[in-house]
Amino acid sequence: MPLPAGYHDRQLSPRLTRSVEAFWTHRATRSGTSLVLPDGRCDIILRYNDLDNTSPHLVLTGPATRAFSVPENPGDCWLGLRLRPSYGHLLWGERVAQMQDKTLRGAEAQVVLPALTLPSSPQSPRQLARLLQQALRQHLNETKPQPLTEALDLQHLTGGRMPVADLADHLALSPRQLQRRFLNAVGLSPKIYAQLIQFHRALRLIRDAGLPLSAAAFEAGYNDQSHMTRAFKRFGGFTPADLPPNLTLPQLHVAISDIDV
Amino acid sequence: MKLGYTIIYVADVPQTVTFYETAFGLTCRFLHDSQTYAEMETGATALAFAALDAIELNGLAVTPNSAKSLAAAWEICLVTEDVAAAYQTALNAGCTPVVPPTEKPWGQTVAYVRDLNGCLVELATPIA
Repeated sequence: MPLPAGYHDRQLSPRLTRSVEAFWTHRATRSGTSLVLPDGRCDIILRYNDLDNTSPHLVLTGPATRAFSVPENPGDCWLGLRLRPSYGHLLWGERVAQMQDKTLRGAEAQVVLPALTLPSSPQSPRQLARLLQQALRQHLNETKPQPLTEALDLQHLTGGRMPVADLADHLALSPRQLQRRFLNAVGLSPKIYAQLIQFHRALRLIRDAGLPLSAAAFEAGYNDQSHMTRAFKRFGGFTPADLPPNLTLPQLHVAISDIDV
Repeated sequence: MKLGYTIIYVADVPQTVTFYETAFGLTCRFLHDSQTYAEMETGATALAFAALDAIELNGLAVTPNSAKSLAAAWEICLVTEDVAAAYQTALNAGCTPVVPPTEKPWGQTVAYVRDLNGCLVELATPIA
């Protein structure tokens, strides 16, 4: 899968960590903007520039449902931990749903993650990653995981095509209970989360598998091609016929039920 | 073109293999080290199991089989001379009964069960 130069995304085994889906880094080599697609996950990010030796600052994101354009300059570095979708509340607690499409930076972000002591001088990415992991571990001990893994697995396996009512039925929950659990843990409604999975799948069917647009719309479960176009505009800000080059599509894989409880 | 494999996506491959060995007397001819793929000894056309984890990686989307919901509209048919015994063995191993052994007008005895993952399995005598 072609990823933009400078972007690396390392999957962490669910056996290693319950809460963190991936550890990723990105280093910009030229001026421009990066388009970050919404994945419904929360990220803990350290941002710094390794050319001008600024000290890193903290960026925390809520669960995103729209694309963000991030300006970047040569030497800009991002070091991130991507939380599993069911662990959005780990970072934000009860406000996770209010943090939808919001980002906190610097001092505002540090209030949320008080266990993190930011280094005053530049550190190696490895050292910064260790700091983030330590800060998160303390949060983990204080947070009760939400039993949402099966629901998320089903949404991923069905490509977001299982109606919320069926999903609730499958889990012996009422739609209202499922809705509440989703909002409390992920910070999004199950419907929006499903639409994000559907969007990412359609995007891969077009870009990686090379399906014609009409076939991709059908396989992804959109009613018709204009339905797919509306979803692409909403979640990506572009149309299926006009995908931006160099799109970053991180692997958003399923949490494995038996392990990630 | 020839039919090479029937592959069922399941949550737990080794568990499903063991279940099929106990419930239906099939033997496993291959289990990958990763425990995410296995083939049963079913002749030229392998009955195989793959882990559900592979669905997304392969760019697919499916309705997972589930013992809790309605069976999907397809089945595995296993042929044996003694359907009644096979049916009892299957139930003893944890299959859910669906239709007990019944004699069809054309002389075939058939029974239906659902396996641990909710897949429909027919047990039938060979057609004479």
